[in-house]
Amino acid sequence: MTALPAARRARSLGDRFAEVSVPLVTVLALLLGWVLKTSVEARSIAFAAEGITAQAPAGWLRTTGGETERLRVTDPASTGFGTTYVIETRPVAEGTTTAQYTSLLTLARGQTLTAYRVLDQQPVTVNGRAGYKLTFVYVESNPDLTHEDLPHVVRGVEFIFVSGSRAVLVAYHADEPAYEADYGRFRQFLNSVNF
Amino acid sequence: MPETLCCVCDKERAVKMIGQRPFCEAHYRAATYERSGLWRSLLIQIVVMAVFVGLVYLGVEIIKPVFTATSLLVTGLVLAFVPAAIWLAFFYQQDRVEPDPKGYVLGVFALGALLASAVGLPLVDNVFRVSQWLYADTLTTILGSILVVGFIQEFLKYAAVRYSIYSSPEFDEATDGVIYATAAGLGYATVLNLQFVLASGGVDLTVGVMRMVVVALAQASFAGITGYFLGRAKFESEPIWWMPLGITLAAVGNGLFTWLRGRLVQGGLSLSGAAANPWLGLLLAAVVAFVTLSLVLYLVRRNIRAALAAPQGDIA
Repeated sequence: MTALPAARRARSLGDRFAEVSVPLVTVLALLLGWVLKTSVEARSIAFAAEGITAQAPAGWLRTTGGETERLRVTDPASTGFGTTYVIETRPVAEGTTTAQYTSLLTLARGQTLTAYRVLDQQPVTVNGRAGYKLTFVYVESNPDLTHEDLPHVVRGVEFIFVSGSRAVLVAYHADEPAYEADYGRFRQFLNSVNF
Repeated sequence: MPETLCCVCDKERAVKMIGQRPFCEAHYRAATYERSGLWRSLLIQIVVMAVFVGLVYLGVEIIKPVFTATSLLVTGLVLAFVPAAIWLAFFYQQDRVEPDPKGYVLGVFALGALLASAVGLPLVDNVFRVSQWLYADTLTTILGSILVVGFIQEFLKYAAVRYSIYSSPEFDEATDGVIYATAAGLGYATVLNLQFVLASGGVDLTVGVMRMVVVALAQASFAGITGYFLGRAKFESEPIWWMPLGITLAAVGNGLFTWLRGRLVQGGLSLSGAAANPWLGLLLAAVVAFVTLSLVLYLVRRNIRAALAAPQGDIA
C-alpha cells in the first residue's frame, strides 16, 4: 500500500488558503488604514489675511509670533520641537531682488537663532512664482531655565518670494528626526498658499 | 487503495475522521480531548492579576518608596514581565494533566515579542505614525484602531503561531490554538509594556502596573479569538473565509477595546484637574478578557462534543 503524499492530505480550504487569504485581508485593511491616515492629514482650514490665502492643517494649534507673522500653526501631536508652519510678510525696498533679500534674511536669522546654519539655497519656482528656497538648521533656544530637557536640533526650510514692496516667507520648522517624514505635508501647505 | 495519513503527524495511518479530516488513534484522542482546568485557570489568572495590581497599589501607599531615576526604570522593566509571568505560571499549574511542552509555549511567547518589536511597533509608530492622526475624531479613532493597530497586532500574533508551532505534531488539540495564540499575545503585550516603561523613563507604579495588566489581558483575549479560529482551521473542515474572518473579528475587538478604554480612562477635565480613572480601564479589561476567553473555550468544547456526537467515520 502506498501512503498518500502530504499535499493530498485532507487539509480544508480554510486551512490551505489561509496562507494567502489572511495576509491579503491584512494588506487590504492596512491600505484602507493608509487612505484614512492620508485623508485625516489632508484635512485643512482656510486662512486669509492681507491678501494671502492658504489651507492650514486642521487641528493644529494656532499661536501668535512676531509682528511680521501672519500665520503660525504647530502640530500638537509632534514630539520634541513641535512641527511648525509660518507665513510671514516683511516690507522690502523697491527693486530688491529675491536673491538679495535672501542674503539679508540669512544674516538676520544668524543673529537671532542659535547655531543657525544654511545648508542649501537655490532659486525655485512654486505654482509659477519665482522665489528662493533656503534650507537651514539651528538649535532651539528656550530661555526658560526650568526646562530640564536637552535643546532640540531644528531643521527647516523657508520659501522666499518678493512681490512688489513686500516679501512673503513660507517656512517649515521641525525636530530634526521628523523633518523628512513631515516634508511632504508641508509641500501641500506650500502649494495652497496664494497671494 | 492508498493508505490515508493522519492530518496532524503525517506519519501514522489514519483510523478516524472528524468531518473530512483523517486522524490516527493518538491524535484523534488529542483532538477530542476536553481540558476542564482551563476555565478555572482563566478565572484565577484574572483574579490574581487584579490582586497583583492591588498589592502594588497598597505597597506604594503604605511604604511610599522613593526611587532614583534608574531604580524606577529598572522596577518598571521588571514589572512589565509580571502579567505574562502570572498568566504562564497559572496556565502550567492547571495544565499538568496534558501539558504542552514548555519550550514551545515560551518559544511562541518569544516569537510574539520579537515580531512586536521588529515589525509591529515600527509599523504603528514610524510608518503609520498613528499618534499624529488617530485621535482626530471618534470615527477616525475607531476605524484607525481597527484597520491599522488591530490588524497589525492580530496578524503578527497569528503569524507567530501559524508559521511556527501550527504545522508541528505538538499542535494536536483544538485548544492548542487558544493556548499558543494567547502566549503570542502575551509576548506582544510584554513588548508594548517594555516600550511604555522605556519611553517614559520609568512609570508611576500604581497607574503603570494597572496599564500593564490591562494591556496583557487585552492582548491575550484578542489573540484567543485568533487561536480559536486557528484550532478549528487545523482540525475541522472550514471554508476559505474562515481564517480571514477570525483575524477580522480579533482586529475589530482589539480596535473597539482601544477606543472604549480611551473613553473610560480619559474622563474629563474638571476644576480640580483632569479626571482620569485607570481603575475603569482595568475593570473593562478584566471583563473583556473573561467574557472573550470564556466564549472561546465554550466554543472549543462545543465543537469537540459536536464532533464526537456526529457519526464517526472509521476508516476501513
